[in-house]
Amino acid sequence: MAKKMGFLVNVDRCFGCHTCEMACKNVYQLEPEVRWRKVYEIKEEYNLPERSFMSLACNHCEDPECKRVCPVKAYSIREDGIVLQDQSRCIGCKMCIMACPYEVPQFNTKLKKVEKCHMCFERLDKGQETVCVAACPAEAISTIDLEEYYQNGILDSLPGFPDPDITKPTTRFIKPRTGIQVRRDNNG
Amino acid sequence: MVLQDKITRHVCPRNCYDTCGILASVRNGRIIDVQGDPKHGYTRGKLCAKGYCYIRRVYSPERINQPLRQLGRGTGRWQEISWDEALNIVCEKILTIKDRYGSTLPICLNKYSGNFGLMNFALEGLFNSLGPTTQVLGSPCWSAGLDAQMFDFGANINSDPEQLERSKLIILWGVNPAWTAVHSLPYIFAAQKNGAKVITIDPYFSETAKKGDWYIQIKPGQDGSLALALAKIILENGEADIGFLEKHTSGWNLFKEYLGSLHLEELSENCGVQKHVLMELADLISSSPPVFIWAGFGMQRYVNGGQNVRAIDALGAITGNIGRSGGGVHYASLSTWKLFNYNFLNSSYKNRFLNINNFAHEISGAQSPPVKMLWIANRNLFRQDADQKELVRALKDIELVITIDQFHNETTYYSDIILPTTTFFEEMDIVPGYWHHWIALNEQAISPIAEARSDLEIAKSVSGKLNNLRAGTCSFPEEMDEKYFLDREFSPETYDILGIDHWSLLENGPVKADIPTVSWENKKFNTPSGKFEFYSETAENIRLPALPILKQPSRCGEKYQLRLLNPHSQHCINSQFRNIDWLQTIKQESRIYIHPITANMKNIKNGDSVKIFNDNGEFFIKAYLAEATPKDTIIVLQEPGDMTQNLNKLFQGVTTDMGNKCTGNPGLAIGENFVDISIS
Ligand code: SF4
Ligand code: SF4
Ligand code: SF4
Repeated sequence: MAKKMGFLVNVDRCFGCHTCEMACKNVYQLEPEVRWRKVYEIKEEYNLPERSFMSLACNHCEDPECKRVCPVKAYSIREDGIVLQDQSRCIGCKMCIMACPYEVPQFNTKLKKVEKCHMCFERLDKGQETVCVAACPAEAISTIDLEEYYQNGILDSLPGFPDPDITKPTTRFIKPRTGIQVRRDNNG
Repeated sequence: MVLQDKITRHVCPRNCYDTCGILASVRNGRIIDVQGDPKHGYTRGKLCAKGYCYIRRVYSPERINQPLRQLGRGTGRWQEISWDEALNIVCEKILTIKDRYGSTLPICLNKYSGNFGLMNFALEGLFNSLGPTTQVLGSPCWSAGLDAQMFDFGANINSDPEQLERSKLIILWGVNPAWTAVHSLPYIFAAQKNGAKVITIDPYFSETAKKGDWYIQIKPGQDGSLALALAKIILENGEADIGFLEKHTSGWNLFKEYLGSLHLEELSENCGVQKHVLMELADLISSSPPVFIWAGFGMQRYVNGGQNVRAIDALGAITGNIGRSGGGVHYASLSTWKLFNYNFLNSSYKNRFLNINNFAHEISGAQSPPVKMLWIANRNLFRQDADQKELVRALKDIELVITIDQFHNETTYYSDIILPTTTFFEEMDIVPGYWHHWIALNEQAISPIAEARSDLEIAKSVSGKLNNLRAGTCSFPEEMDEKYFLDREFSPETYDILGIDHWSLLENGPVKADIPTVSWENKKFNTPSGKFEFYSETAENIRLPALPILKQPSRCGEKYQLRLLNPHSQHCINSQFRNIDWLQTIKQESRIYIHPITANMKNIKNGDSVKIFNDNGEFFIKAYLAEATPKDTIIVLQEPGDMTQNLNKLFQGVTTDMGNKCTGNPGLAIGENFVDISIS
């Protein structure tokens, strides 16, 4: 059976250090404003007075809007579900940028073309981890094959993550737990 | 010339717990990416977000490419000059001053932790080759805690932090490794996986606190109260490790008596942690050996900071965790620092030392002879120092200010001459760390960018120029190259401890120093009594309390009732990294954390522009209302964005109780800064 690759984002582990994002930038030497991976703050959720994080890149969706709207067919889906964009075909019309609910495709102002996360497919093909997964100090992100992977309590959305019904993203989440907080407010 | 593609080894030389091993891939003489060095056993092939951005620093368009002269300090009218011209200006000034005062004492060096590599001591080496000079002594940072552990244990060592994994209870006390030591997180997570609990004690709900099992919000500077309260409960519950206490400690009876005289209600009131929580914590501590306490630098930046650390050490001792695998009280280690010879620090002259933490006053107060030339290196003095107003005032009598740096900053603004220096990818060095036990070689990946010179090359060129102008002025060994320099830094004993017979073998990868994995495992302490000293005569002899007794932090005055804390932020180390474009894309707007109730009292709403002020100055910033901070404390992270205002202006420069013993002077009690806020 064909694989269905996706990112598993463990919000319980992630502490928002952005290492994943910078490691990606470092290997692919991205332009400063181009962010293939972004770490988002989840606002005031889960009884945490501020900031838990989710680290997101392309969600390698099953029904990718980017692919549907692209006039030059720059997008394709690999056998294993990875959504690729062929920059040499891209004409910079930004349709995909407007269509993707997750603000994933990035416009490179120097090349006047779009680019995005390709799940380090060349590394995956060699049996290596993606750059971001390898760099995370917290083992907070991983790539999983959704056909194989099953774990209790994994979610397909989190607050702030746009409705997965539109494009069927393959990203999955583990939500944060909260420890015991003893604050001076509550007790004098 | 065809340049060979290669991969070179590096060590991040920042003032940081992690001191990571780095690999740089070099193609056609240019670094194309940086990776963590998988052979580094502590950082294990990973870097932090800042580390992955290093290329942007090396090749930043903002790098200073050649020596500059400012036509009038603060004018921003910079003139590019050649190295020869720059050296002429510097050396002629040295000679003029020397002739005028018959001494080189008016020449002053202020250098600290911008780069912790051994080679940067070449600048001290240069000064020590001129004659008696003025230099700074002390550290703004960790002084009080070092002294505290010196009194209790007799040395500044720690267990191999990989021991975190073996712990059953980890107490992160005033430290935020999620932001300031990310490579320790995997060890903490591994311990959690094995069933360990993690307690974070901090005045504010840090990123680390969120990952723990318990978060205890403590009143700033009251760590001593909390530690003593826990010690008292554990003792009274009959859970103290009497075997350890009777055999391996000195002054136990006196300390026991002292604990008996304390009142739990009062301690609880002091630290803001309720009695029933104290009881629960005490139970957790006594029932979960081994307990690994990581005492951070934050809590010792108070007027009672050293005393706080001593109280925590005492808690470690009472519970028998000292010398236990996976346990102990860990602050900082000088073990690998001490492996090297630091030849450049030897001086045959009688130097004059100014207190690094009272620099502004001491530099203007220095007489017969006064200070006339100031050389700043490895520091952004005009950002990081206390009492900025006085510092600027002190400058007016200084005839020449020279700064070595890679970028413009607050300090270059006040300088006459800038000498551009190399990054660690452009030089060879050894950088010991103060947390893990690994030593790695920093190789040279690429030629210096533009006209940048390493500190060693700068020292050599100054020496050469001086001797050209007047033979015999400077005895700096001009023939020294990096290899010869490193040869001199290693002793046979050091090679033994590192298990190599020449430093060049570090080209194959970092090595772990053969020093005790578990500190104080043999229970032989380096104190005068050879025991863990509750009662320290060493402390008593320098008029400090002999016992780890309760001391209070400063109280706020009538006028300024809010305590301002400025912990390290995530993506800067002091003012380093702030200008890196990749990091700027993820930077949040600087903000002041205010408790909603406090904000309400001041009529401040989320997002309002707020003025923080006291008699020393003012600072403008956006309000962020969050219960992460207590009501009596406001937090501004050290993320210096714009250069037009400086938070340190508000801090007069109160110093800590301890620090003289280990660093020559007390540290900066930067937690003791009181302010008010208003809508601006
Ligand atoms: S996340 Fe956006 S860019 Fe990525 S596959 Fe889905 S629709 Fe396309
Ligand atoms: S999978 Fe590769 S391309 Fe995608 S965000 Fe991670 S490092 Fe970047
Ligand atoms: S590197 Fe890991 S912990 Fe850091 S932001 Fe990315 S996912 Fe989160």
